[in-house]
Amino acid sequence: MKDAHEHLDKLMQELRRGTITIGVLSQLSEPQYGYSLVTMLGKNGIRVEPGTLYPLLRRLEKQGLLDSKWDTNEARPRKYYLLSKTGKEVFELLVGEWKNIVNSLNHVIEDKGDDVDGND
Amino acid sequence: MEMIERYIYAVTQKLPQSQREDIAVELRGLIEDMLEDRSEKGRYSGSDIEEVLLELGNPKELADKYRSTKKYLIGPELFDSYVYILKVVFSVLGISIGVGFLIQVVLNPVNILDHFIDMIVSSVTAFPMAFGWTTFGFAMGELAGNVKRKDLQFEGEWKPANLPPIPVEQSRIKRRDAVASIVFYAFFIVLFSFSSDYLGIWVFHDGFSGVVPFLNDQKYATYFVFIILILSIGILNECVKLAFGKWTYKLVLYTTLSNTISMIVLLFMLSGADFWNPTFMNELVEANVVTAGSDAYHTVDWIWNQAPLWIIILLLINIVWNSIDGFIRARKNKK
Repeated sequence: MKDAHEHLDKLMQELRRGTITIGVLSQLSEPQYGYSLVTMLGKNGIRVEPGTLYPLLRRLEKQGLLDSKWDTNEARPRKYYLLSKTGKEVFELLVGEWKNIVNSLNHVIEDKGDDVDGND
Repeated sequence: MEMIERYIYAVTQKLPQSQREDIAVELRGLIEDMLEDRSEKGRYSGSDIEEVLLELGNPKELADKYRSTKKYLIGPELFDSYVYILKVVFSVLGISIGVGFLIQVVLNPVNILDHFIDMIVSSVTAFPMAFGWTTFGFAMGELAGNVKRKDLQFEGEWKPANLPPIPVEQSRIKRRDAVASIVFYAFFIVLFSFSSDYLGIWVFHDGFSGVVPFLNDQKYATYFVFIILILSIGILNECVKLAFGKWTYKLVLYTTLSNTISMIVLLFMLSGADFWNPTFMNELVEANVVTAGSDAYHTVDWIWNQAPLWIIILLLINIVWNSIDGFIRARKNKK
């Protein structure tokens, strides 16, 4: 038998996978490079491993949500990512959807027991 | 520092060539950033490096994340049938080789060591060959399946109406039939790779006294390759059929083509005069099976001369029939 924490770890992994994308998009109205994102998100309590973030950034770029640019003026070359036009739109929509999910889930979690009217 | 380069190499070598350089530069930057973060300006030790690399995790997994799609030679959908068929083929091979060995020992116990060596040799040739062709067959099936999947995407959005109809009973390819055919081919592969010596008329005078072989012993080594090739194509066909699962026009086209190739090879062999034992009739006489000049001799001689022609005709009818049969079954599906 697995104990509760093992189950939790697995489920949290799945849960994070989607939410990290929102977190990443939220920080990219200004250009950022990968590791600065890791730190920024970390300061805000969103722990993300570089090994997950870097491939994610590339995927988002490939999908057209992010633009990227190499900066070679600094001590070491860094790839900066920035929301593209589509990326901005998608992010706004995503935030709306996210708020809906949070509301519905809060509703479901907290109002359990007293069944309110069935139609939404 | 060398360890960092090794790590980057381990990740990027598993990625497509076009992305390697870019990802390598980015990874190097990341690792340096991480190192800087956990040490005083510019000074870090070997254990810091190790820690950072551990945090990034197994390079294989990191590369997987960069790649995100998986590629298969034989995908999970086909893998179970593949393993099943491999098991069948291998057990048939094992049993036939074992039985062949026993027969030889019973017939000729003196040369048991030779028979044993024969057995080892046929095992070493037959098993890898069977494995290779089976795998190849399934890989072709997988490839065809992938192409199909891409086609469907090309057609646009999926609709329930697009669901393919359940294949009509007659058009389904039955696993049991395919397995029976594979067993049949495997058995003949063993028979031929063992030796052509026992392929002929068995003569008994007070017990077993020898075989008058059908085939030409001197040329057998040359023809052997082609015989095995034809039988292997047969196994390959059955595997492809299994992978398809039902008769379709594409499958009919494929089997017809590969059967035709086998047929052409066979025609070359069977019509060559040196394929058959040139002294067959003389040997029969010497073995006291028939007497020269008798009626029986003429009958056997006639049969011996006509046989290749009849074999060719039978084989031709067989492949034509197979194609027609497959076509009819595929058509039933279209209705």
